[in-house]
Amino acid sequence: MHVHELNPKKTLWVLILFLIVIIIGFITMKKPLLNYQLSLQQTTKILNDTSNNYFYPYQLVNVLDHENKNVVLIDLRNKYAYGLGHIPGAKSISSFSLTQKENINLLKKYKKNGITVVLYADNQLDADGPWLFFRQIGFCNIKILLGGYDYYKAHKNNLAQTKEDNSYLKGFPRFDYAKVARSKTGTFSASQKTRKPVIFHRRKKVTVAAGGC
Amino acid sequence: MNRNYYILTAIMFFLALGTLFIHERKVPPEISPGELLWDVLQPTRFVSTDEVAKRLIEKDPSLLLVDVRPASEYNKFTLPNAVNVPIDSLLTPAGQSYFGNPGMKVVLFSNDAILANQAWVLLKRMDFKNNYVMKGGLNEWMKTIIQPKMPPQTAPETAFERYDFRKAAHLYFTGAGIAKAGKSASKMKVVFKKRKKAVVAAGGC
Repeated sequence: MHVHELNPKKTLWVLILFLIVIIIGFITMKKPLLNYQLSLQQTTKILNDTSNNYFYPYQLVNVLDHENKNVVLIDLRNKYAYGLGHIPGAKSISSFSLTQKENINLLKKYKKNGITVVLYADNQLDADGPWLFFRQIGFCNIKILLGGYDYYKAHKNNLAQTKEDNSYLKGFPRFDYAKVARSKTGTFSASQKTRKPVIFHRRKKVTVAAGGC
Repeated sequence: MNRNYYILTAIMFFLALGTLFIHERKVPPEISPGELLWDVLQPTRFVSTDEVAKRLIEKDPSLLLVDVRPASEYNKFTLPNAVNVPIDSLLTPAGQSYFGNPGMKVVLFSNDAILANQAWVLLKRMDFKNNYVMKGGLNEWMKTIIQPKMPPQTAPETAFERYDFRKAAHLYFTGAGIAKAGKSASKMKVVFKKRKKAVVAAGGC
């Protein structure tokens, strides 16, 4: 007979303590601040959804005129670049401070209130990574400003007319690659058909050499 | 036997039973979102068209070019020896076989850097290392390598050196370098014919 079998109450207390420790562990377990909400398959699908991913420069007109109050602009560039110039009304949250708790909570608040968040940097590529990151962790209200700040800066006085412009659009070939890369110098290109072998013919002597030195 | 033993055994039994409901994770290994954002913000993944051209001319065996555009665009034109892995195929075993191979550096490219950058983010999430993005993509390739522009006279010496390299690269790639997808450059066969002596030599010195 074990010693604790003589004292059944002691065993019961140990059992209760064991359960309490497990329950406290579950309750106090820290949840990670960020989790992937989209699987990789879902992420590849949203890349083709152009209507929900992009914010066009001409759409800024309504935002700047305060007609569209459901849009918040976030400048991802550093504070110095923001200080030199930014889109009026934009909030400065540099890329490296995006995952700070207060910023994540702010974005969650925007999402809850149905506010569209538009990220921008100097160009589309600089904001593309953070944008795709936020889409993967579940912020479906986040869009990316096409053309970025550089395009806005160059066209800020005629934003409404940029509807007809497509110079800021990415993903399209700007050249006929095959045509431009074709050889212009006559050198061999694999895209050309294989040439026939070159055969050298020597002129035959018609008659026996006559004369000479 | 003490009654508490039964209770303890029952609790352990139920805990053990719970393990039956733990499913094996079938999703590929992923890095944490925090790590992903940190990597996304690093500009070190971008390589210039000059760097890619240099490696291609040197025939660097550790370089693998991956064209992430759709197959229809790839079939019209691509860079020498590039393989086609459209972004939809990145999650298939065949598509993933090109990535994460030891000693290989994979350079992703598309028409510009956007699609290639997005492919890079997906690969990074799957913890594939040694992947890079050709900055500016094929549009930049055409501008800098195929149609290089002479720098202004006031430009620094390095700009002229770069221009000289681009001119040489232009000749290389518009010559034997650019290959249509699926076709390889074949060399011309030169056939030599031996001269036949028609008659016995007569006369001469």
